[in-house]
Amino acid sequence: MDAAISAAASGPAPATDAPPYMSVQRVQKIYETAGGAVEAVSLADFSVTSGEFVAVLGPSGCGKSTLMMMIGGLETTSAGHIRVDGTEVTAPRGDFGYVFQDATLLPWKSVLDNVLFPIRLEHGRTRDHLDRARELLELVGLWDFRDKRPRQLSGGMRQRVAICRGLINDPKLLLMDEPFSALDAISRDDMNAALADLWDRYHKTAIFITHSIREAVYLADRVLVMSRRPSVISHDVRIPFPRPRRMEMQETAEFNEICGFLRRKIEEGYQRA
Amino acid sequence: MTAIDTGARKKPLLPTGVLAGTLRQILLPVAAALVVLVAWETAVRVLDVSPVLLPPPSMIVARLQELFFPLLLKHAIPTIWESVIAFAVSSVLGIALAGLLSSSKILREALYPNVVLFQLIPKIALAPLFIVWLGIGSQSRLAFSVFISFFPVVIATLAGLDNVDRDLLRLCRALRASEWQTFREVRLPHAIPYVFSGMKIATTFAIIGVIVGEFITSQAGLGYLILFASAQAETALILAAILVLCAFGLVFYGLVAIAETVTRNRFGA
Ligand SMILES: Nc1ncnc2c1ncn2[C@@H]1O[C@H](COP(=O)(O)OP(=O)(O)O)[C@@H](O)[C@H]1O
Ligand SMILES: [Mg+2]
Repeated sequence: MDAAISAAASGPAPATDAPPYMSVQRVQKIYETAGGAVEAVSLADFSVTSGEFVAVLGPSGCGKSTLMMMIGGLETTSAGHIRVDGTEVTAPRGDFGYVFQDATLLPWKSVLDNVLFPIRLEHGRTRDHLDRARELLELVGLWDFRDKRPRQLSGGMRQRVAICRGLINDPKLLLMDEPFSALDAISRDDMNAALADLWDRYHKTAIFITHSIREAVYLADRVLVMSRRPSVISHDVRIPFPRPRRMEMQETAEFNEICGFLRRKIEEGYQRA
Repeated sequence: MTAIDTGARKKPLLPTGVLAGTLRQILLPVAAALVVLVAWETAVRVLDVSPVLLPPPSMIVARLQELFFPLLLKHAIPTIWESVIAFAVSSVLGIALAGLLSSSKILREALYPNVVLFQLIPKIALAPLFIVWLGIGSQSRLAFSVFISFFPVVIATLAGLDNVDRDLLRLCRALRASEWQTFREVRLPHAIPYVFSGMKIATTFAIIGVIVGEFITSQAGLGYLILFASAQAETALILAAILVLCAFGLVFYGLVAIAETVTRNRFGA
């Protein structure tokens, strides 16, 4: 059973001559702290093709955030290389969009101004991007809330605003670090559906960090399982479902089979540790 | 049953609720002040205290009515004017210095401990020095007033600029904001409530600075008037002048509080 899924679902990306859109090559991260060196990521090695939605799934503390920060140029690597779109990542880039675990909205700005904040920082002219902001906010059902302040919104609404902000400058790569983990199960389902919709429309390359197996399988084209000790990508699983993804998909036997498969792989990782 | 349960069931002494709460917040202090005033008036009359020692409130009010236009207002104007200028200068200087300290690590390490140390000095003792340096004109009073009122602005503003959520700073980094953009777009708006709390303290300090300066040198101003009246044993006039000073202090503070509300609504902080 496992073997069948594993054969169908995992395996390296199809070989092509073109270099991958993103490659993470033998990357390691060691934090030097007062209490000694902490190895947050032991070895990460994978590549992502353009337009792919890749979920990184693992228990908390396994180094997922650190990996994302390195890809996003917010954290240096201790060893190895990360290349995106042909160039090595050394600092945050304009063709990246970021969504963090906390929405991190500016409390003194309206929803609309928060979404336009990256544009304002870039060149100050936000008017040209009003249409796009409107389109994004309408897609996540928040256009009517554009003049509200973040504190007037629920946690799920705030996170949707943060996603719109991540997409406003039309990034090629969207990096999301557990964007829904602070939400309750029901809003989380809503958010997943909203994100899947955004995806069908914009087809960005995405790295989506999560510790929810179902979320990963529902959203991603590929799931990278990360283990804790050592902190490595232990499995690379292809998710075969067609798009657009539907919530009902989660009730199919195949969906649950893949979830079960991933769960066992994560548990194996625990036992090894 | 836990102790907390029984504690929570205790009946409150006074009515509760939002409206009752607001009413209480206004009524209680006013009532307390009235009680003190009435006790004062009665005690002074019953015990037949000399008005030089302590005039009754009614006499102070009479003095105020009688002398407001001919005397008190004339002396209030320079005091008010100088306090407002000193306050404005110390606000601008204070915010600028705090901005400088928060943006340069070296400057901050060099200056901040000194600022804190200076804050602890009884600065009033330095007033005569300002006269030595700047003479007896209004510039020495202004300088002294700025000197004592700008510390609270610096310290509060710096706290606000530094207290920014690390996640927001990471966002700025991700969006490749420059230091200046991070300051203008995130640190400064975040610091607004802190800045105003410093400025509210500065209103009082600015007035104190000017009054102390007037005690030492001036030929006009409420501080001068108070000193003059005390030489004449005109206690009621002293207290009337202080009343005018209080009224000005309240209005000044109130204006800053209004400015805060306007700014906060504008920036929504
Ligand atoms: N800035 C840091 N300094 C020191 N150790 C860190 C830092 N950030 C994360 N770590 C450590 O690295 C490990 C991985 O953390 P993290 O990447 O946040 O994991 P995850 O996102 O999977 O929960 C943890 O042990 C954490 O304590
Ligand atoms: Mg994390």
